[in-house]
Amino acid sequence: MMAIAEEAPKTTSYRLFHFPKDRLRLTIGEDRSYVTVKPTWSAPLSHPNQYLALMNGKGEEIITLKDPKRELTAASYEAVAEEIAKRYLTSLVQNIVSAKGEFGATYWHVDTDRGERDFVTQSLQENAQWLSERHLLLIDVDGNRFEISDVTALDARSRLILETIL
Amino acid sequence: MDISPKGGSGSASDPKPLDDVLIRLVADFAEDGSFGHRTLEVTSESVRVLEQGDAPSFVIPISEIKSARNEPLVGGGRLEVLTKNGELLPVISYSLTLSAKFSEAARGVEQLAKGEPLLINLKEERLRCANCNRLLPEKDGVCPACVNRGKTMMRIARFMTPYRSKAILLALMSLVTTLLNLCPPLIQGKLIDTVLKNHTELDILWKLMACWLGVLVINSVLQILSGRYIAFLAGHIAADLRSAVYRAIEFLQLTFFDKKQVGAIASRVTQDTDRVWGFLVEGVPYLLLNGLMLVGITVLLFATNTMLAACILSPIPFVLGIGAFFWRPMSQMFHRVGQKWARFHMHLNESLTGIRVVKAFAKEDLEYSKFRGRNNELRDAGVAADGRWYTIFGAMTFFTSLGTLINWTVGGYLVYSQKMTLGEFWKVSAFLGLLYGPLQWFAAVNQWFSRAMAGAERIFEVMDTESEHYAPDQERVKIVGEVEFNNVRFGYDKSNPVLKGITFTAKPGEMIGLVGKSGAGKSTTINLICRFYEPDAGTLRIDGIDYRDIPLQDMRGQIGIVLQEPFLFNGTIAENIAYGKPGASFDEIVVAAKAGNAHNFVLSKPDGYDTMVGERGSKLSGGERQRISIARAILHNPRILILDEATSSVDVETEKQIQEAIGRLIEGRTTFAIAHRLSTLRNASRLVVLDKGEIAEIGTHAELMEKQGVFYKLVEAQSAINEIIGVGAGS
Repeated sequence: MMAIAEEAPKTTSYRLFHFPKDRLRLTIGEDRSYVTVKPTWSAPLSHPNQYLALMNGKGEEIITLKDPKRELTAASYEAVAEEIAKRYLTSLVQNIVSAKGEFGATYWHVDTDRGERDFVTQSLQENAQWLSERHLLLIDVDGNRFEISDVTALDARSRLILETIL
Repeated sequence: MDISPKGGSGSASDPKPLDDVLIRLVADFAEDGSFGHRTLEVTSESVRVLEQGDAPSFVIPISEIKSARNEPLVGGGRLEVLTKNGELLPVISYSLTLSAKFSEAARGVEQLAKGEPLLINLKEERLRCANCNRLLPEKDGVCPACVNRGKTMMRIARFMTPYRSKAILLALMSLVTTLLNLCPPLIQGKLIDTVLKNHTELDILWKLMACWLGVLVINSVLQILSGRYIAFLAGHIAADLRSAVYRAIEFLQLTFFDKKQVGAIASRVTQDTDRVWGFLVEGVPYLLLNGLMLVGITVLLFATNTMLAACILSPIPFVLGIGAFFWRPMSQMFHRVGQKWARFHMHLNESLTGIRVVKAFAKEDLEYSKFRGRNNELRDAGVAADGRWYTIFGAMTFFTSLGTLINWTVGGYLVYSQKMTLGEFWKVSAFLGLLYGPLQWFAAVNQWFSRAMAGAERIFEVMDTESEHYAPDQERVKIVGEVEFNNVRFGYDKSNPVLKGITFTAKPGEMIGLVGKSGAGKSTTINLICRFYEPDAGTLRIDGIDYRDIPLQDMRGQIGIVLQEPFLFNGTIAENIAYGKPGASFDEIVVAAKAGNAHNFVLSKPDGYDTMVGERGSKLSGGERQRISIARAILHNPRILILDEATSSVDVETEKQIQEAIGRLIEGRTTFAIAHRLSTLRNASRLVVLDKGEIAEIGTHAELMEKQGVFYKLVEAQSAINEIIGVGAGS
C-alpha cells in the first residue's frame, strides 16, 4: 500500500483505462497492474474532486491521488471520470421548483444535473445536513443523496423556498 | 410499480413475442445517467435491457450467466452478471429507492441461471399515493396528506367515549357561560338608559344589580365546575392515550425500532399525545366557547344598531387577515427558535458529558467558540422571532384599537344626534371589548388543529403498524428443543442478504457453537431463533413445526438469552433474577443465584438480595451483572438457550466463575453460543462455521481441527494474534 503521492507526480507512471470495456484497469510504471479498480472519493463533500482513492477488487487502497485531474494524463482522467460517473449516482441540485412541508414529511421537486426529480425527506433536522454555511446535503427517505454545493448560488426563488422550509 | 409478471409490454416490436417475461422492472436512470427510464426484462431465455421505446440495448442469454448480483454504489446500485467466461458485465443502474427490488431480481436471474425454480418475492410496492399522487414517505405507507381528517377526528373522539357524560356536560356549561357573559353589558345598557339618565326608579338599580350578582355567582360556579371537568378529562384522556400508544409500541416488530431512534419513539408517547389531548380538551372547548361568543355578539350588535355595528366591525377583516397572513411565518420562526434551542442543548450536553476529553485535549477554547456560535444562533433567532412578533402584535393592536376609535366617533355622533341612547352605546362598547380579544387568536386555530392532527396521525401510525403475531388464546405449547434451519435466507435490508441459505438441525439438548468472522451472520442467526426477525425465505422449525405457527409468547417464554452486555432493570437483585418468572419464591431465587455463581457476591452486599442495581444495573460490575443475568435465565428455565458472547468482557477469574455457571445453565437445554474466544466453545456438541452468510463447515471441535479447514484457520489466526499480543505485552 502506498501513501498519498506527495512529490511532483509523474503523470505517465499511472495509467488508467478500460479493459475489457466495463473494467477499469490501473497500471503503475511497467511492473504493477490492477484489474477492477474502483475509484472512491475519500471526502466527496468536504474535498470534492480531491483525494481520489483507487481501490482494488478486495476493497483495499492501492493509491490516493490528491488532485487526480492534475496528476493523471487526460486519457487516464477521462477513463476514471467515466467510472466515477457510474459509481456515484448522487445528484447536484441546481434549482428548487417546490418544497412543501406537511405532517413531518417534506416533498421536494428539484432540478438536478441529472434532470428533474421528486423526493420526500423526513425529519429535516437529521436529513438536511449543513456541511458548511452554504453547503447543504439532503437525504431522502430511501437514502438517495441530493447535494446543494452552494446555497447562495441558487436562484432567488429556490433560496426563498429553502429559507421557509429549513 | 411497473411489474407485470407475464408479458406486460405486449408491443408489436417485441423481439421474441413467444418469450414469457418473468421479471420486468423499470429503473430510474437512463443510460447516460440522467433520471429517466430503462426496463429490465428477464425471460427464461435471456436478460435484456430495453431503452425508452422498447429498443433493446443489452441482451445476454441466461445460459451464459454464472451468477448475478446487486453491486451497491453511492446513492444507488447496479445489477451485474458474471458470465461463464468470467466476465463481469454491468447490466442496469438504479437509485436506492429501487435497489431492494433489483437485488431480488438479481437473485431471480441467478436462480434461472442455475436451473432452479424462480422463487423471488417481487411484491408490488406503491411509491406514490394512489389518491393524490404524492410520493409516500414510506413505501406502501400511509399518505400523510390524504389521511381522512374526519376519520382521524372520529378516532380521536373515541378516546372521549368513556367520559361521554362529562364531556357533554362540559359543552353545555360552556354554552351557558357564553350566554351569561353577554348579560353584564345588557344590564349596564339598561341601567344607563332607565336609572342613570332619568335619575328615577332607583329600585330598578337594585333589581338589576341583584341580577348581575346572580349572573356572577352562577358564572363563577360554572367556571369552577368546568375547570374541574377539564382537569379531569385532560388527565384521564392524556393517560389513556399514553397507555394506548405505549401498549401498541410494545408489540411492534423490531424492524420498527431499527428504523427509528428511541427518542423519536418516546416523543410519540409524550409530545404527540400531548398535542392531541391538548386540542381535545382545551382546543375544542375554546373553539366552541369563542365561536358561540362571536356569533352571539355579532347578532346582538346588529340588533342594537345596524349602522354602528357595520362600522365597528369593519376592521375585523384586517385583524383576521393579519393573523392568517403572518401566522405561518411567525410559527415557523418560533419553530426555528425551538430547533436552535435543541441544537444548543445538544451541544451543551455533549460537551459536558465529554468534559474529560475536552480537558485532556485542552480544547476548552474550541468548545467555547462552538458554544458561543450556538448561543449566538439562538440569540439571533430569538431576537428575529420576538421582533417580528411585536411588530405583528402592534399592527393587530392598531386595528383592534381602531374599532374602539370608530365606535366612539360614529357612536358619539349617533348619541349626539339622538339616533341612539347612551345605554345602547355603552352596551356596544362593552361587547366590543369581548369581541376583539378572541378574534386575534382565530388565525392560530388552523395551525393548532393541524398540529393536533399530525400528532394524532403519528399516534395512529404506531397503532396501525403491523405488530408481532401474538396468538390471543393461551394454549401452551411445550417445546422440546429441536431447532431446524431449512434453507433460511434473511437480510435486514432486503437488497443485502446476511444469511444465504442456512440449513442445519440442532437436536434437543445439544450445544451449538456459532463461529465465524464478524459480519458472517452469527448474531443474525440468533435474532432469527428468537424470532426478533422472521426469515425472508426458507423455514425455521422448532420440534418439527414451522415456528411461525407457534404462539409467540409460548415460544419466547421458552427461550432464554444471556447477552454480552446484560440489561438489568432498575430494581433489586431479587426482582431482576425473578424477571422471567414473576412470583418466584425467595428460595427459588436463591437456588438460581447459587447456580449462577452469584449467591456469594450478592451476600457480600450490605442489602443482600434487596440491593438496588441502579439504572441498567450500573451499580454492579460487568461480571456481577453477567452472573445475575445467568441466574435470571436459570430461573426462567428455558428449553432453548442463547449465549451471545457471554464471557467476553470480564477478567479471567470472573470468566471461570461464569463458565462454571454457564455449564450448569446449559444442562439439558438446546444451546446456541457465540464466542469470540474460540477456545471457550471447546465443549460445544457441534460447531457451525459461518462464512459470509453461508455454512462453511459443521462438526465437533476435534473434527474441525483435524479437517484443517476454515475453522482451523480461524483458530490458528487467533492463537497467532494471542502470541503477538503476548510478546508485545512482555517486552
